[in-house]
Amino acid sequence: MPDQIPHLKAVNICKEFGQVQVLRDVCMEINSGDVISIIGPSGAGKSTLLRCINLLETPTTGVLEIGDFKITIGEGHKKASKKELATLRRNVGMVFQSFNLFPHLTVMENISLAQRRVLGRTKDEANSRTLELLDRVGLKEKADAYPGRCSGGQQQRVAIARSLSLDPMVMLFDEPTSALDPEVGAEILTVMRELANDGMTMMIVTHEMAFAREVGDRVYVMVDGVIVESGDPRVIMSEPTHERTKQFLSAVMGR
Amino acid sequence: MDLGTWFGYVAELLPGLVNAVKLTGISLGLGLPLALVLALLIDNRLRVVRWITIGFVEIGRGLPLLVLLYIFYQGLPQVNIVPSALASATWAFTWSAAAYATEIIRSSIRSVPRGQTEAGNSLGLNERDRFRYIILPQASRIAIPPLMGLSIIMFQLTSLAYVITYSEVMQAAYFLGTTTFNYLPVFLAAAAVYAGVTIPASALVTTMEKRLSKHL
Amino acid sequence: MFGYIIQGLMWTVMITVASFLLGSIFGIAVAGARVSSSRIVRICARIWVDVIRSVPPLVWLFLVYFGLAELGIRLTSLVAAILTFSVIASAYLGEIYRGGLAAIGRGQIEAAQSLGLGRVDLFVRIVAPQVFRTVSPSMVTYGIGLMKDSALASTIGVVELTFRANQVAQNTGEGLSAFLIVGLIYLAFSVPLGIWARHSDARASQKYQVG
Repeated sequence: MPDQIPHLKAVNICKEFGQVQVLRDVCMEINSGDVISIIGPSGAGKSTLLRCINLLETPTTGVLEIGDFKITIGEGHKKASKKELATLRRNVGMVFQSFNLFPHLTVMENISLAQRRVLGRTKDEANSRTLELLDRVGLKEKADAYPGRCSGGQQQRVAIARSLSLDPMVMLFDEPTSALDPEVGAEILTVMRELANDGMTMMIVTHEMAFAREVGDRVYVMVDGVIVESGDPRVIMSEPTHERTKQFLSAVMGR
Repeated sequence: MDLGTWFGYVAELLPGLVNAVKLTGISLGLGLPLALVLALLIDNRLRVVRWITIGFVEIGRGLPLLVLLYIFYQGLPQVNIVPSALASATWAFTWSAAAYATEIIRSSIRSVPRGQTEAGNSLGLNERDRFRYIILPQASRIAIPPLMGLSIIMFQLTSLAYVITYSEVMQAAYFLGTTTFNYLPVFLAAAAVYAGVTIPASALVTTMEKRLSKHL
Repeated sequence: MFGYIIQGLMWTVMITVASFLLGSIFGIAVAGARVSSSRIVRICARIWVDVIRSVPPLVWLFLVYFGLAELGIRLTSLVAAILTFSVIASAYLGEIYRGGLAAIGRGQIEAAQSLGLGRVDLFVRIVAPQVFRTVSPSMVTYGIGLMKDSALASTIGVVELTFRANQVAQNTGEGLSAFLIVGLIYLAFSVPLGIWARHSDARASQKYQVG
């Protein structure tokens, strides 16, 4: 393999909430263009891991490297400066389970806001980029609508467009289809599949096993805050080696 | 007591009503912006600022409005400051209104769903922008019904300004009572004036509550 | 000065406590009327509560003290004050009870009924304890408000805290000192109780979250 600068590297990420240790020495390395899925039972720490990567949650200890951004967290190390955090968040986009669109702004405004305030684009630049993105997710006609007037699937597509508007290096998806009906979820998965084919680096926490198997380059299985297995999705899902993976898969897929 | 005379009494109280509404307007006009500032200052980095703000709010909320009125009107003269009835009423009512409104505003800000802040965060918006574009617009909508309710309460409280001889409804009623010696009908007229404003206003607040919760 | 003023505390407390107790008891009747199965009773109760809450306490106080006197019913200022505030309190507390009652899901009542619990048992063992826990902070908050309203009694001559401070101000010109003392006394009650009430409210909404 030629020298690829890993896009994202997480080393020994630990996270405690009070007495409970939610993440234990989690390590991950992702290259540009990789699509990785994270699966596992509820409470395994999957969402927490994702949120530690864009520092919505601060890990207790660990090292995070994303592109040029590097930070060591723990005792004796300085906290990330506001500027560093801003750079990190520009480069890492996040799509939430509950969409989190801004209800008082139109779809257009939802997507242009960060472009103007964070990237400094002019109104015209932002608006035209917004229309491009809306076209890409198939919602150009909804530009002037309010989120309240959009269906769940449409809202999530707007949310994806919103995160893409900052041209991030990596996109994080936290159970993007869990709040949607299955048919609607399929719409979203289609958009995500296209993004993957276009070369976006993606980390996806999901319960959609079929998606993880078909679209992902790698799958990580997390149980109780630890990555118990990782590798080619097709292999792991048909022949899991770790005991906990077997338990989880049989519960989920009924084998 | 015939109805005509009674309605005459009500009419005599109306100029007082105008003053009552004026005082309500002034105290909110000054108090609400002040409350917004206080709501933000409570989380200030400097401990001194926090404590002064909390002190101001707790006193405005913890003291009877009557006592606040007296402090300005009867108390300050001890240190050679002699405010007029209107000035005393303005300071006291503004203080009280701001104190209550601060809690309403803070609670409204807290009510904005956490996901909104997270979305703003993950898009890289800084704290000022998050507050200005995402939190404040939504918090304002949430705050409107309780703030309207507060206005109605402040309007009723203007009755207290009577004790410092500010001429609102109760003052007018008192004079009317002393000239006609018909205290009962006169105070009933005063009650009617207050109810006449409060009941429709409260109905309006309820309607607004329903309308606003539909939009979000 | 301090000695003269502090005696007023007894009167302030008397008015507050008496009105709160009477109001809590009659408030139950008000709440009951508001949820009565009879439509007429419900409407009358609604009008009663709305009218009481739409008129400032000072006006009610004057109506009871001066107004009733014209009809031949002469009450002492203390009795007039307690009577007025009790009636007002029953309206507000009744509404607080009603809110607490509504917050108890129908599901609980139906579950209890299907277990065969009789109406009284249902009320005493299931409804009342939960309502009480939910509304206690609001009741305490109202109690604090009642203590502040008790200052109004000074306008009809009850020699409570505010009255005495006013006397001192008018007789000696040392109004600021007098009202500072009185202010601190009021704050000594309202601030700790207020903090407790807000804290309990936050905890109560956490504690009983199910699912």
